[in-house]
Amino acid sequence: MSGAKSTTAEPKIDAAQRIASARGPALSVIVPLYNEQESVQPLYEAIVRAVEPLGRPFEMVFVDDGSKDDTVALAAALARRDSRLRIVKFRRNYGQTAAMAAGIEHARGEVLVTMDGDLQNDPADIALLLEQIEAGFDLVVGWRHNRQDKLITRKIPSRIANWLIGRVTGVPIRDNGCSLKAFRANLIKRIPLYSEMHRFIPAMASIAGPRLAQIKVRHHARRWGQSKYGLSRIYKVLLDLMVIKTIASFASRPLRWFALLSLPLFALAFFAFGQTVVDLLVGGEDHISLPIAGSGVIFLGSALILLCSGALAELIYARGDVRDREFLKLTQTILSTRRNPEADRAL
Amino acid sequence: MKSQVAPPSLSVIVPVGARRAADIGALYREYRSNVAATGATYEFIFVLDGPRPEARRALEMLLREGEEFTIVNLTRNFGEAAALTAGFERASGGTIVTLPAYPQIEPADIRKLLAGLSTADMTIGYRWPRHGNALDRARRSAFHGLVNWVTGARLRDLGCGARAMRRQVLEEIDLYGDQHRFLPILAMRLGFRVSEMPMRQSAQDRHARIYRPREYVHHLLDLFSIFFLMRFTKKPLRFFGMLGAATFGVGAVLIAYLGMDRVLFSEPLADRPALLLAALLLVLGLQIFALGLLGELIIFTHARGLKDYRVEEIIQYPDAVAASDSGSDSVPAEPAGSAEMRATAPPAVTA
Repeated sequence: MSGAKSTTAEPKIDAAQRIASARGPALSVIVPLYNEQESVQPLYEAIVRAVEPLGRPFEMVFVDDGSKDDTVALAAALARRDSRLRIVKFRRNYGQTAAMAAGIEHARGEVLVTMDGDLQNDPADIALLLEQIEAGFDLVVGWRHNRQDKLITRKIPSRIANWLIGRVTGVPIRDNGCSLKAFRANLIKRIPLYSEMHRFIPAMASIAGPRLAQIKVRHHARRWGQSKYGLSRIYKVLLDLMVIKTIASFASRPLRWFALLSLPLFALAFFAFGQTVVDLLVGGEDHISLPIAGSGVIFLGSALILLCSGALAELIYARGDVRDREFLKLTQTILSTRRNPEADRAL
Repeated sequence: MKSQVAPPSLSVIVPVGARRAADIGALYREYRSNVAATGATYEFIFVLDGPRPEARRALEMLLREGEEFTIVNLTRNFGEAAALTAGFERASGGTIVTLPAYPQIEPADIRKLLAGLSTADMTIGYRWPRHGNALDRARRSAFHGLVNWVTGARLRDLGCGARAMRRQVLEEIDLYGDQHRFLPILAMRLGFRVSEMPMRQSAQDRHARIYRPREYVHHLLDLFSIFFLMRFTKKPLRFFGMLGAATFGVGAVLIAYLGMDRVLFSEPLADRPALLLAALLLVLGLQIFALGLLGELIIFTHARGLKDYRVEEIIQYPDAVAASDSGSDSVPAEPAGSAEMRATAPPAVTA
């Protein structure tokens, strides 16, 4: 259904809008905003200009991340004229991941598109992302070619980070920093997003095994204001990576992960004890090296404690509410000759 | 349930713990007359934290004399935070006021405390001018300096039991243990506006305090847990990882040094007690790191219930016209009466 015709009487528009909102639009464009008063109006116009011709009901979700300037007032003025715009206003600044998560939670579309609020992404590219979603991909990630940013402080670190993230997580994304992405709503709404995971949404989403596509998108130089993220501290990214890797590959069998950690300790303990036994056999009790025997005891003890931690981790997972079986449902395809009426209805 | 009365606008909660006024009846009368003087409708809720027979007798006497308030009697001492929560459960006012069960502030200043709510979601009193000797002052400023440094707040008197807040504040804060002291900090963390209001110190509160060392330790531990919860709730590995990596690093350097000695100067490892220390540090680092991973697993498996952010309001005008649809701009953009603006915090978990 293309947008309501405004030539008819007002109540009818109303009804059409209500129905549209009850069923949910086909597309939600999610934009986190933080002190973007200059961008709000052009951003809104650019999105409408790019998405309206696609001829499907859509909504825009602007998430205000506790802006200190006039961002909210300007956006509210736009919302007053356009029912498709919804503004989620945070009580204070919570960071980009929280803004993305809130946008995703409050969006009602079947396909969600996220983008930056500073107009460095081009809304005209949304059509390209949608094409890929319609072609059957669950997750489409843009990558900025001809990136318009400083080489030394932005582009080179980001290239290294992307390489590292790809190596560690096994999801080789060319450009993790590009916010322009499209998701199937039912998939992304089930992926836990917290802390500073916005950099790693594709890696995090990989726990559901999504079909992933990457396409080139345009990138414009920043026209207003300050860039809000410079060189972030490397150790944070490294630790976050560690977390995602651990969670994506071991969350449902944590004991294995801890067993793996304890393996080198067992090996060290083995060598230390071996040496001690050899010493004992060769020269008797006086010949034993206390530091080596002691190290062996420490290594062995620690390995055992790690295994116990693994058991604790199993307990935590068992009491938690995250299960692989719900993730696999988000992306599975079933080929069967048997008719399954329930599944058909669900589809 | 008596439903003929509309809910009061103020609910005053007084947690009665080990430290309480000798004559709680007199204290109540003073509080009541000053709360009544503000002109608002009010209710009083006393929470007896554990068996407090004399306090209970005094309050029951007042009830028999025709005073109206609620007594919640807890069977054991659960602590002030739990007592506040128990009182809040019975409270129906839109504004919640907590008052200490012993004379701490001049009751006449309750009015000022309430006035502060016009520009803030929560107002806490601070005793000013404050009496006390140099040691008291030094201790206080050291504690608050530490708190403010750690939490980024700017507060002067966390020990003051007089606070006023909008109902929503307590609804959202999950209070436990000894966190009542840090109520304003927890509120700030959720994005509420918190202000401080000077209140005159009660004459009976002006005495030097002697704290046992245990209480210092408890205060410091409380502070540490608040610090950890504020900074690292969603990223435990940042905290444990840092500690673990540092410990592991020191151990690794030590091992490298011993190894060099072994290779270059053929100093046998077996005779070096430092080897024990190095092994211990390595292993300790690994353990701390593993704790961080456990923390991350806890967060991950509960991530849907936890929410990073608080929404102040959602702005959308369902009756606004979808702009720029066909050329005819016949419907003016002013259905202002039908504007939908709701100030909500959505439920914490959405299916």
